[in-house]
Amino acid sequence: MVDYEITISIDARGSFCPGPMMELIKAIRQSEVGDFVEVLSNDEGSLQDIPAWIAKAKHELIDTVKEADFNRFIVKKTW
Amino acid sequence: MPIAVILGGGFAGLTIANKLAIKLKKRKEVEIVLIEPADLHLYEPGLLYYPFNDKPMSKLEKPISKILRKNVKHIKQKATKIDHENKKITLEDGKVIDYNCLVIATGVDLKEESLGLTDKDNVHHFYSAEATLKIREALKNFKGGNIVISPSTVPYKCPPAPVEFAFLLDEYLRRKKIRDKTNIKFLYPLPRPFNIRVVAAKILKLFEKKGIEFEPFFNYDKINTENKKILSFEGDKASYDLLVIIPPHEGQDVIKESGLGDKEGFVITDRETLQVEGQKSIYAVGDCTNIPASKAGTVAHFSADVIVKNMISKLDEKEPTARYDGKTLCFLVTSSSKSFLLDFSFKKEPRKIGLHSWRIYGIMKKLFQYLYFGGLITGRI
Ligand SMILES: Cc1cc2nc3c(=O)[nH]c(=O)nc-3n(C[C@H](O)[C@H](O)[C@H](O)COP(=O)(O)OP(=O)(O)OC[C@H]3O[C@@H](n4cnc5c(N)ncnc54)[C@H](O)[C@@H]3O)c2cc1C
Repeated sequence: MVDYEITISIDARGSFCPGPMMELIKAIRQSEVGDFVEVLSNDEGSLQDIPAWIAKAKHELIDTVKEADFNRFIVKKTW
Repeated sequence: MPIAVILGGGFAGLTIANKLAIKLKKRKEVEIVLIEPADLHLYEPGLLYYPFNDKPMSKLEKPISKILRKNVKHIKQKATKIDHENKKITLEDGKVIDYNCLVIATGVDLKEESLGLTDKDNVHHFYSAEATLKIREALKNFKGGNIVISPSTVPYKCPPAPVEFAFLLDEYLRRKKIRDKTNIKFLYPLPRPFNIRVVAAKILKLFEKKGIEFEPFFNYDKINTENKKILSFEGDKASYDLLVIIPPHEGQDVIKESGLGDKEGFVITDRETLQVEGQKSIYAVGDCTNIPASKAGTVAHFSADVIVKNMISKLDEKEPTARYDGKTLCFLVTSSSKSFLLDFSFKKEPRKIGLHSWRIYGIMKKLFQYLYFGGLITGRI
């Protein structure tokens, strides 16, 4: 279990694919190496697209938390 | 007398102004005012074909005075501020215009200058008349090498336009007999070349057939003009001899100044009522909104009907009940003579029938300009 403190939290609920992923990319652009960014999304497509982007960009997906009607993605900016 | 003001006279604003003018022709109780600095209207969908032909740009233009109905007053100025509390709009010369109902249709601001390029860099686009003439020259002088195509931000106008450009470019280079000396690379911010999966799969198949290389998750970071490379935020790079990059899109300054926009200056708009957030007397239409629909003329067209119906209901002191369902109709060009017809909405993916690449659709897309000037923008359809 990684210990973390969220630096930026983005509530992208109600936004449709590719909205949540683009919001995450924007937040990662604006943050520092080592920061933890959280995105909340209720778009089903995010479950595929967000982890795929994180893998491609070589950041780290710390956790995907399934809440009642949305998912919470926690991402660490690694470079 | 109530005043309906339309701010911005591009495709969306002119359509709304004309539709309102038709509906209110016999009822003289409303004054319709359009605020738009330009004299000429440009048929933007035509820009897609113009890098590959020699036609004068004037063929895509028409004076606004010939499009706009007589019962609309045209104020040829830019607005600098919307005071939504007092229902007033400030113009560039300092004059103030009152409104009872406002429709914002200011489109997008292309932030070309933010790329920091000069004419010598061989970096081009086809999203304005001026840029299209330049890319036409660059293509004429092109003898072979790497052509890279990439949008710099999402969202941008007409989501399929860069894909369509790639298909037309492939055909153009074959005609010039230099396709075998040219690599076409398509770099895209998203995992697929189109947001809707079935359409994306069709595009990828055609890319493969035509030898167009596709790279997903390429979010533009910067251009190194000295060694001609485009770099992504994901850490990738691609070399180009000619780079086609869609400039960053933002909302207009007047939206940012008036506190009606999101972080990028797109008007915060309800996707069904098309009302601006927290504003009962303001609607937004076309590319200026933040609704999750394509920045396309077809979206503006179907939204315009909803807004006009609701404005008339309000005038008649009835409940405004019309809603936009995300309806979008789009011809996606796959060659100079063929295109897919896509018909979708917020809840409905394109039907299979619309995914056939038919010649008739290719011809229809080319002839579309007649329908655009003859029926759509005049508010008749
Ligand atoms: C290459 C290309 C191909 C395209 N192909 C298609 C297609 O095949 N199908 C399709 O449906 N769509 C297509 N589109 C998209 C379509 O052209 C746009 O969606 C459409 O023009 C949007 O209309 P609009 O009125 O919202 O914005 P615009 O047409 O950009 O108009 C905005 C207007 O607001 C005015 N304005 C801005 N700021 C102010 C201010 N402060 N005060 C007063 N006025 C202001 C501007 O002068 C402008 O006239 C294409 C676009 C491009 C670039």
